Amino acid sequence: MAVKKIKTIYDVLCPFCGTLCDDLEVDIADNKVVEVRNACQIGTKKFYSSNPNEHRYETPMIKKNGKLERASWEEAIDKAADILANAKRPLLYGFSSTECEAQSKGVELAEILGGVLDNTASVCHGPSLLAKQDVGQPGATLGEFKNRADLVIFWGSNPVHAHPRHLSRYSEFVRGYFRKDGRNDRYIVVVDPRNTHTAQIADLYIQVNPSEDYELLNAIRAVLRGVELDEKEVSGVSMEKIKELVNTMKTCSYGVIFFGMGLTQSLSHHRNIDAAICLTRELNDHTKFSIIPMRGHYNVAGANQVFTWNTGYAYSIDFSRGYARYNPGEFSSVEVLLKDQVDASLIVASDPASNFPAASVKNLFKHPLIVIDPHESPTTVYADIVLPAAIAGIEAEGTAYRMDNVPLRLRKVKDAPGECLTDKIILEKLIEKVKEKRGE
Amino acid sequence: MSEIKLKLKKETEIPLEAESITPDNFAGKSINEIKKLVVYYGREELTIGDFFNVTGKSEEKDDLIISINGNLSNVKRIGENMSGGEIIINGDVGMHVGNQMSGGKIQVNGNADDWAGAMLKGGELEITGDAGNYVGSAYRGFWKGMTNGVIKVKGKIGVEAMLWASGSVPAKRLPTLICGSAGSFLGIHNHGGTIIVEGDVDRCAGADQIKGIIVIKGKAPKILPSFKKIGEVKEIELFNGEKITGKFIEYAGDHSVKKNHSTVSKKTGELNKSVNGRLYIAA
Ligand code: SF4
Repeated sequence: MAVKKIKTIYDVLCPFCGTLCDDLEVDIADNKVVEVRNACQIGTKKFYSSNPNEHRYETPMIKKNGKLERASWEEAIDKAADILANAKRPLLYGFSSTECEAQSKGVELAEILGGVLDNTASVCHGPSLLAKQDVGQPGATLGEFKNRADLVIFWGSNPVHAHPRHLSRYSEFVRGYFRKDGRNDRYIVVVDPRNTHTAQIADLYIQVNPSEDYELLNAIRAVLRGVELDEKEVSGVSMEKIKELVNTMKTCSYGVIFFGMGLTQSLSHHRNIDAAICLTRELNDHTKFSIIPMRGHYNVAGANQVFTWNTGYAYSIDFSRGYARYNPGEFSSVEVLLKDQVDASLIVASDPASNFPAASVKNLFKHPLIVIDPHESPTTVYADIVLPAAIAGIEAEGTAYRMDNVPLRLRKVKDAPGECLTDKIILEKLIEKVKEKRGE
Repeated sequence: MSEIKLKLKKETEIPLEAESITPDNFAGKSINEIKKLVVYYGREELTIGDFFNVTGKSEEKDDLIISINGNLSNVKRIGENMSGGEIIINGDVGMHVGNQMSGGKIQVNGNADDWAGAMLKGGELEITGDAGNYVGSAYRGFWKGMTNGVIKVKGKIGVEAMLWASGSVPAKRLPTLICGSAGSFLGIHNHGGTIIVEGDVDRCAGADQIKGIIVIKGKAPKILPSFKKIGEVKEIELFNGEKITGKFIEYAGDHSVKKNHSTVSKKTGELNKSVNGRLYIAA
């Protein structure tokens, strides 16, 4: 047997979670991933998923007689452009698992179409963005936390499972410039209704009643100001524990709150974040404190950045008037679908069929649906046209923003299979064709 | 007194944006001119005449009544920015009805969708049915929401009504909301608004309130821990001098807000409750 030649690529970014680890080493042989070093298990899995498998689309597909059948790029782009150009109110959604250059093309297409443009922040950290607009956000980059923070609070986030290397790279075990002793130099607090694996390695675990985070934050803020509360217990947490936490917060030299979807997607949504940010702001009267969302998709922060520098708004944008308007709840994808207010959809690198409420998904499938995706997913199965994409960050390079809004360069480690094209090129083709059909 | 009648020809599939329907825009125009006013349908720019039958006669703005019939639940922005006259809507109406209106009256004989009377500056909005979320609220990112005027909703309203309301007694700006019952976070970030709820409210009423009065004549599930009980009262005096009688428990708050008037004395450690927002709940 011939020995395969293995090529190793260093300093590769992991295109999976918002931690956006940038120290991976990937071995490639025969255009296949054979080994991934330094990545966590979920990141590694994503690299292996790029190897040939039956769930991968390698040519464009068009639905004929209820079945997706192979088609040429020309036919698929022509048909897709037809659908989009004729729609009165198309929805363009997704964009968080692709690179910024493609996201920018998505904005361009949405503007030409006069459609609704949204990204997955709509269903994860949209509330964080809303709160930030209401009350600001004292933040910093991850390096700052690594080197300085001696109090780390995970509120409604469970990095052990959702951002596995966050702990070893930035927040818990890693040694920092002023935290020479790593874990021993940090006090870890977890606030969560569930006794998660992250809670189990914390110094202080605060078990809050489900969906009562707002009340707890409210009490903490009042206690911090020196107000004696009438209550003995708030949200299932005793007043002694609240006072202990407030004291810990006030006396640390640098504190940070990493909050996750446990806070953004529980009952009070953006108001939880509003209160948490106000608390952070007020803590800065006593010491140095920051707050930062644990972003899920590796480039959802980038989607917010790109949308914002192009339109002024981070998500839930409507172009029907020819200029950008913003209003989550009115132009957010879940709502426009729920109210059946769009007449065609283009989904880019996302799987709303798995994440959206059933009623919204039903309406998504009711109208023509175009999906740009490397893999088969519950969304692509119901698509009228599937445009096969190269996996950004593995088969295509580009820019991505880490959860702390630091831009990093994604690498290409192997070629895409079959006729796959990058998201950016596919969107460019669509833009060109739509313009042609509109006679521009 | 003159009247223009609009009747929706048929229900639309996607939302119609019709902020051109205001007495300000209709005043002194002929039926043909009114029919030519622009409305937005998806990415298309069409006219009122494409969607509505228009009849009647229009004269001075302040004496003009526009009455609209049909299911308008997919028609947005009726009465936006209006400054006088009257609109009567017979049926349900879509989002943003009467947003930023500064004068005149809108009567909705039906239900209203979200953002009804958002950032109201004056005038009166009355809804006989229910209303959606963000009634009289500030739009995203604004720190000044409803600054004056009155909103009355007979039925229930959704969450976060009167967000960032901004009133001032010396300036005679008294934003007021009266409703049947309300969802959570009623009057959040309230800066001097008056809210009267005839029935019950959901969680977190008055969160982050600095000034303002919230009166709940029904039940509230839980009061935020940062509110301090003052005692029982038999009469409540509102900012406009009107009085509400009945047995209420008076709370001061929200004491979690830093820059409010609920200072804690450095000397005695005592809380100054006298100049703070108020929440009254029926005893
Ligand atoms: S922590 Fe996130 S970015 Fe880092 S290797 Fe794991 S999945 Fe990839």
